[in-house]
Amino acid sequence: MRYELLAVIGLIFCLVIIGIEYLFHYRLAELQDEKTINTRQLDQRIKFRVEGIIYAPTDLSRKSEIEALAKDIDNNFETYEKSVSIIENTRDKFDKDDEEYRDLDQLIDRVDEIVDPVSIYASMLDSNDIYHKGYALRRLADLGAEEYRDVMIELSQDKHRDLAYNAAMALAKFGDAENVAAFLLSIQDDRLYSGRIINEFFDDFKGDRVELSRILFENCNPYMMSNIIKAISPYKLEEYHRMFVENSASKSFQIKVASIKALAAFGNPDDEQLLQIAAQDKEWVVRAAAVKGLSLLDSPTALASVKNALRDKEWWVRQTAANALTSMDISPRDLEDILGGYDRFAADAVKSVLYKQIDNLA
Amino acid sequence: MSFLNGVRSFIVIFNFFCMAFTLILSLIYVIQMFVSLFRVRRDYEKNFSNDYIRYTDSNNLLPISLVIPAFNEQENIVQNVRSLMTINYPEYEIIVVNDGSTDKTGELIINAFEMHMIETSIRYRIPTKNIRGVYYSRKYPNLLYVDKENGGKSDALNAGINISSYPLFTCLDADSRIEKDALLMLSLEFIKDSRTVIAGGIVRIANGSKIVNGEFKGFSMPKKLVERFQIVEYYRSFLSGRVFWSASNSLLVVSGAFGLFRKQTVIDVGGYKTNTIGEDMEIVVRVHRYLRKKKIKYRVIFNELSICWTQGPMSLKDIRSQRRRWQIGLMDTLISHRALTFNPRYGAVGLLSVPYNWIFELFGAVVETIGYFLIPFSLLMGELNMFFFVMYFLLAVMLGIILSEGSLVLEQYTHRATMTAKQSISISIYAILENFGYRQIVSLFRVEGILKYRKLRKTWGKIKRKEFEQ
Repeated sequence: MRYELLAVIGLIFCLVIIGIEYLFHYRLAELQDEKTINTRQLDQRIKFRVEGIIYAPTDLSRKSEIEALAKDIDNNFETYEKSVSIIENTRDKFDKDDEEYRDLDQLIDRVDEIVDPVSIYASMLDSNDIYHKGYALRRLADLGAEEYRDVMIELSQDKHRDLAYNAAMALAKFGDAENVAAFLLSIQDDRLYSGRIINEFFDDFKGDRVELSRILFENCNPYMMSNIIKAISPYKLEEYHRMFVENSASKSFQIKVASIKALAAFGNPDDEQLLQIAAQDKEWVVRAAAVKGLSLLDSPTALASVKNALRDKEWWVRQTAANALTSMDISPRDLEDILGGYDRFAADAVKSVLYKQIDNLA
Repeated sequence: MSFLNGVRSFIVIFNFFCMAFTLILSLIYVIQMFVSLFRVRRDYEKNFSNDYIRYTDSNNLLPISLVIPAFNEQENIVQNVRSLMTINYPEYEIIVVNDGSTDKTGELIINAFEMHMIETSIRYRIPTKNIRGVYYSRKYPNLLYVDKENGGKSDALNAGINISSYPLFTCLDADSRIEKDALLMLSLEFIKDSRTVIAGGIVRIANGSKIVNGEFKGFSMPKKLVERFQIVEYYRSFLSGRVFWSASNSLLVVSGAFGLFRKQTVIDVGGYKTNTIGEDMEIVVRVHRYLRKKKIKYRVIFNELSICWTQGPMSLKDIRSQRRRWQIGLMDTLISHRALTFNPRYGAVGLLSVPYNWIFELFGAVVETIGYFLIPFSLLMGELNMFFFVMYFLLAVMLGIILSEGSLVLEQYTHRATMTAKQSISISIYAILENFGYRQIVSLFRVEGILKYRKLRKTWGKIKRKEFEQ
């Protein structure tokens, strides 16, 4: 009897769950339909409104259209973003030098004056949802809302990593080297996380990258140091050239590779000797980086080293050399020697690159 | 007399075993679904502040090689390549590997994209059948066409890996379509956590949906019942199961239709196994095994926001062929890697995921099918109480409905209005109906796969699918 009772209870329990699921499903589906209809209607209205603003015959009518748009936006950030995006899309159809482009650009500023997007995003900072908060911080930074900088600094130390990350990204847009560095240093022991983050921060950083690097170099561990060197290498910061030269012989493999890559990016003839030595390194990553650097130098010795790398035992170095060679001043005779020579590796590598290059020229 | 009594006792005990087994399995599924619910909700919210579009010009993004193995794919191949050319990703190459097709696959690709043969150096890091030629197009510089001798899907994938130049590669089925941002979202998994070695996306049934150039354009209910059932099935399998196993880093299957791999890891384990039809599961299990053995920290991730659309089979005959193949692939992989079973050295993979697949995914079908015959038989023979039987049957069906309907709720919660409310509710009716016939037939097909393991373990079979709209 006990088992039968249990089975009946189990059955009733299942029925209740199914009922709840169906109710939930129905409600969600209904909400989704409502949302779809509302979004469609709003999109249409916003589109008309924005067109009204763009093509308003007088300044007064334009102002009243913008005010009507502000009413439609009703402190909703999604509607605001949609409106701005329609104007931007229309603007981008014109050339940057066109008068229409400039007009539409100014129009976004006028919409911002009346709609006040800063207050829309600021209100999101009170949300309990950390993802909304993080998003708002980034948008406030885009809008240059300096008055929220203290909030960003405070939140960049938050224990929730996503929120701290978004706050620090916002600070990067303000070029705040000190606080961005503090955030990056706080995560330096987490290698998996810090590795990718550093690139992003240097990409988005609007301040003095030399200053940011200096604070980081003074306080970071070797792993982060190698990542910073890699991240700043595209910017060719002369202030660190000497440091790269010194570190090209570093005992740390990661720092050594990063420094060679950074030096290679400079294309400085003074570094040739150093790159020549690196091109003979036992590690193929170092050799490939050095070959790339040598290809930027306009010297017969550099050309000879790149040609030599065509015979490297590592496929990737040979391919790098072949790619590099086509951008160097190589004589038809030399090319003929490689292609018709006994070295199959070298010939294959050059052929695969040349086939594509010749094809693209045709 | 005593023999008959023995048989009777066996039948009664086996009945109880079947019942307990079905109920336990259903409960495990329901637990998976609830765990997935929290995880999907978290991912969905997190995605809000992750404005991934910003990444399209980031230096952090890793370039990707898209490898498409093609064997007699003349209906889909050109259209698929064109669709891939519109995806939202800064740097990628498309490598179509023609695995010795006997139809016009190669000819169509060469003509459509104005390709011609080039001499190139191939880095043979995984042995493959002879490559007859590599073709390149001036007009489409990120497209390569490889013509090789027939060696099977795995061999074609290995050839694609050898030719590829980027650190990540994805294998795509010629008859599937990925959404515009799918690759971008999937590759972010490798940036967010550099331990990631494999990331799988969600595969959705495209039957009834209009997908144009990687964009969803609308849904209308597919005509055939089997297509409707498959929509429910795929939601259940991907949104509950894979999210759950990914959470414990013991996901064993990344769909062959859409997965992103760290190339070096796949090369380190020796590439795809060529003499199996379950190569997608086998490679994932081998990666788990290799990295756990070497004590290397890694992640195998499932991302439910990266979407790939595939046309499901339209007839029971094709479903039979597909499910048989899946079951054989599963069996082959589990047998090849039996050393992992209950082996604590392999952590959650050895102690949870592999045993679960042995017990519930492989033999579950056998127990379920025997139960379908034995339980009614016992009832007829008077060995089973009618009340007990009805209760068991209703419970099993209801647990199945809870699971399917739960997955539909999950889908409704996370997704982007692919169906109207009316369509969504109509689909949920099939979550009930599938328990009366379809589920049992699929179980039979799976058992057939096990029984014909030796005979069919190297046979792919061709499935007729709907074409995507032009």
